[in-house]
Amino acid sequence: MSEYVVSMSNIVKTFGTVQAVRHGEFNLKKGEIHSLIGENGAGKSTMMKLLYGMYPINSGEIIVKGKKMDRLDPKTAIEHGIGMVHQEFMLVEELTVLENIILGFEPTKGLTIDFDSARKEVQKYIDQYDMEVQLDKKISQISVGEAQRVEIIKTLMRGADVIILDEPTAVLTPQEARRLFEILKNLREDGKSLVFISHKLDEVMEISNRISVMRQGQYMGTVNKEETSPLDLTKRMIGREVFLNIDKSYGKAGKTVLEVKDVWVSSNKETSKIRGMSLHVNEGEIVGIAGIDGNGQSELIEAITGIRKVEKGSVILNGKDITNFNPKKVRDAGLAHIPEDRNKRGLNRTMSIVDNLVAVQLDEAPFSKGMMVQKADQDKYAEEKVKQFDIRPTDYNLPTSALSGGNAQKVVVAREVSMGKPLLIASQPTRGVDVGAIEIIRNTLEKAKKEGAGVLLVSAELEEIISLSDRIVVIHEGKITGELMASEANENNLGLLMMGGKESK
Amino acid sequence: MNNNSAKAGFIRILVTMLLSLGIGALFIVGIGENPIDAYVALFKGAFNGKLRLGTTLAGFTPLLLSSVAFAVAAKAGAFNVGLEGQIFLGGIAAAYIGINWTFLPKPILFVACFAGAAVVGAIWGFIPAALKAYYNVSEVCTTILMNTVALYITSYLVSGPMSAGTANAQSHPVTVTLHQFMKPSSANLGIVIAIILVLLVIFMLYKTTWGYKIRTVGTNPDHADFVGINSKKVFIGSMMLSGALCGIAGCIEVLGVHGYFLNNFATGLGSNGMLAALIVKNNVVATPFMAFFLAVLKAGAMGMQQSTGVPKALVDTITAVFIIIATMETLIQFKEKAKKKAETEKKEG
Ligand SMILES: Nc1ncnc2c1ncn2[C@@H]1O[C@H](COP(=O)(O)OP(=O)(O)OP(=O)(O)O)[C@@H](O)[C@H]1O
Ligand SMILES: [Mg+2]
Repeated sequence: MSEYVVSMSNIVKTFGTVQAVRHGEFNLKKGEIHSLIGENGAGKSTMMKLLYGMYPINSGEIIVKGKKMDRLDPKTAIEHGIGMVHQEFMLVEELTVLENIILGFEPTKGLTIDFDSARKEVQKYIDQYDMEVQLDKKISQISVGEAQRVEIIKTLMRGADVIILDEPTAVLTPQEARRLFEILKNLREDGKSLVFISHKLDEVMEISNRISVMRQGQYMGTVNKEETSPLDLTKRMIGREVFLNIDKSYGKAGKTVLEVKDVWVSSNKETSKIRGMSLHVNEGEIVGIAGIDGNGQSELIEAITGIRKVEKGSVILNGKDITNFNPKKVRDAGLAHIPEDRNKRGLNRTMSIVDNLVAVQLDEAPFSKGMMVQKADQDKYAEEKVKQFDIRPTDYNLPTSALSGGNAQKVVVAREVSMGKPLLIASQPTRGVDVGAIEIIRNTLEKAKKEGAGVLLVSAELEEIISLSDRIVVIHEGKITGELMASEANENNLGLLMMGGKESK
Repeated sequence: MNNNSAKAGFIRILVTMLLSLGIGALFIVGIGENPIDAYVALFKGAFNGKLRLGTTLAGFTPLLLSSVAFAVAAKAGAFNVGLEGQIFLGGIAAAYIGINWTFLPKPILFVACFAGAAVVGAIWGFIPAALKAYYNVSEVCTTILMNTVALYITSYLVSGPMSAGTANAQSHPVTVTLHQFMKPSSANLGIVIAIILVLLVIFMLYKTTWGYKIRTVGTNPDHADFVGINSKKVFIGSMMLSGALCGIAGCIEVLGVHGYFLNNFATGLGSNGMLAALIVKNNVVATPFMAFFLAVLKAGAMGMQQSTGVPKALVDTITAVFIIIATMETLIQFKEKAKKKAETEKKEG
């Protein structure tokens, strides 16, 4: 038997005409964390889905623990100890955590489910790897980080010793990411082998033993962590260096485009989650909202954009009171909006790239004339946007469900920033996209600002907030705890305000 | 919709049609008859001679409209079980106008009958749609209930205020009728109207902003609202369109087939239309073909029963098999897998 628990060689995978993986190589040693990196659409998710048996390979060889896998499907993969935590979670919202964990292979006692022994076994993993979860809460009531831990426990319960994590940190706050890393290290110590996919090179450098790089479906080599650097990795991924430090322009901020006055908003779980927030955004400036995820930023944005009801207070856009307008009317009043959740709201996954790109302006020239859709003009526009935002594959008639996570995000960004609206709200605009695309998206936001738009930016990345914003508003538990000019902000003073201004860490 | 999915859709119907006929053949053999004879008889029963062909076409017309009506509502995410009630009410509205508004010149009276039927059908679609959109009441329940209400309203009217006083519950004859072109069958010009309407609906769904909005709302209402499409309005609109199409189907039945409103005339039209649409997963291009196939089966069944020993209930068996096969998505996936495998083997070889 070789030293590898998993070895994939000469892998080829196509979807119709799209070559998702041209030549894939990947192997995993026992007890290591092996990172897989590459640009959006490089084929990372596809490689791992192949290992998990979600699609058949066209050609190549997959060997798991010395055994060649001829016909791999998720069931066989699980039997061979492979588990996967997907980019998009697969939990049943209305069931409890415990029910979700045992779903599909419930331990039984006679005819009934043996919840007690299940609970005991789950508790064992919780203690062993220090994974805090609340077993009796419903999935809809727990945080993303906790849901992720539930997914990990699920794989462990099914006997996994090879665990694939596809961009687990993309949806986490930095604090939650730290926690996840502790868990991953515990798992490694216990002899589990882990695959870690991420676009964040600092994370990759921190957690990996080895790192494999893919570019456009091609395997580009594997390096030991000690022998590489973020710069080196970037070059391997993209073939050039990327400069994320955009030159910030300090134009004069103009008149106020958005004014939020003493707004109160409920969340799904609690009433008055946001209690009396006031802020404003001027033309030609970027205002960043910093805060630990779940402190009201989502609710605030939804309230401004007409998705969520405002209990009290008012929202004024472009001099017009838009409090509790429906989303269409808010857009008509001058809003463009990159939502935090691209799958639920941002995209219609069953429809094509071009359909998604024109969705907001469908009723306007040149995309339609009267009732008639002008397909030729739409195509021309889509071709331009696909080029400008480097959306791959470039065939804009493909359904967006065929896009990799990052490319799907680019479609949303392209649609929203291209309209030149006076207010642009960007929630987690670079979530899940690669460095090259981060560069494009950040420059686009900067450009929107230069052209006079007011931008409200929400991001889990403090670095992103600091480097893009002119002004930063910090929130904690539904209240504003401070406001700083970006020039005076740093991770420390922001962090302090994000904790409510009481303690520092 | 791109060409590929349309093509795949058609291949799928064809394969399922052949398969269900094949399985039907097994049943026929099972009862000791010759399947080829039976199918020939069925085919003859549907197409042989003016009367039979005409009857098939006349049966196809309302099915065509109701199946496409179901598909249109489904495109916006609505499950319109209320087709039948909408047909009944459309029929009674057309009858009322056709009998009583004789002060109008004939051509305008025609238009009035159709318009009246469409409006009443649309209203009957509007009510459950609005209840769903604004109060989240399941449209499945309300439309089923409203079918019964519609049936009773029309029964009451043709036995009471609008009754012709005959033994059968029916209305006086209408003063305008659609030309029947294949006498003695009741095939009438309504089929032309129906085909034109269906073509317009398909065009609307894929070439207009309205169609785009319907498809968006049907696949992701959250996204629709997010990009500024009022999902409630679109939902209601497509249910109204669905109801209007059914209303017109009712109008064609009254003006074209019977010449008066006949109590219970639409029984079964709703469920068969729904069936045709569901089998092809609401693909509006494929739905008319499916409706035609069902109409042929129904029309030919009697002929088959008369000239062979195969009972006409066999047709229901075939339809049932059809549904089962069509729902077995896995079958198609299996085929695709096999195809891909063949491709890779070619490459390797
Ligand atoms: N189901 C599918 N159908 C068609 N094409 C697909 C499908 N899944 C992936 N692809 C294509 O395969 C390529 C690789 O996609 P994959 O999801 O593996 O990328 P990735 O490296 O995970 O990217 P990201 O970092 O953006 O998540 C992309 O071009 C994508 O469009
Ligand atoms: Mg991916």
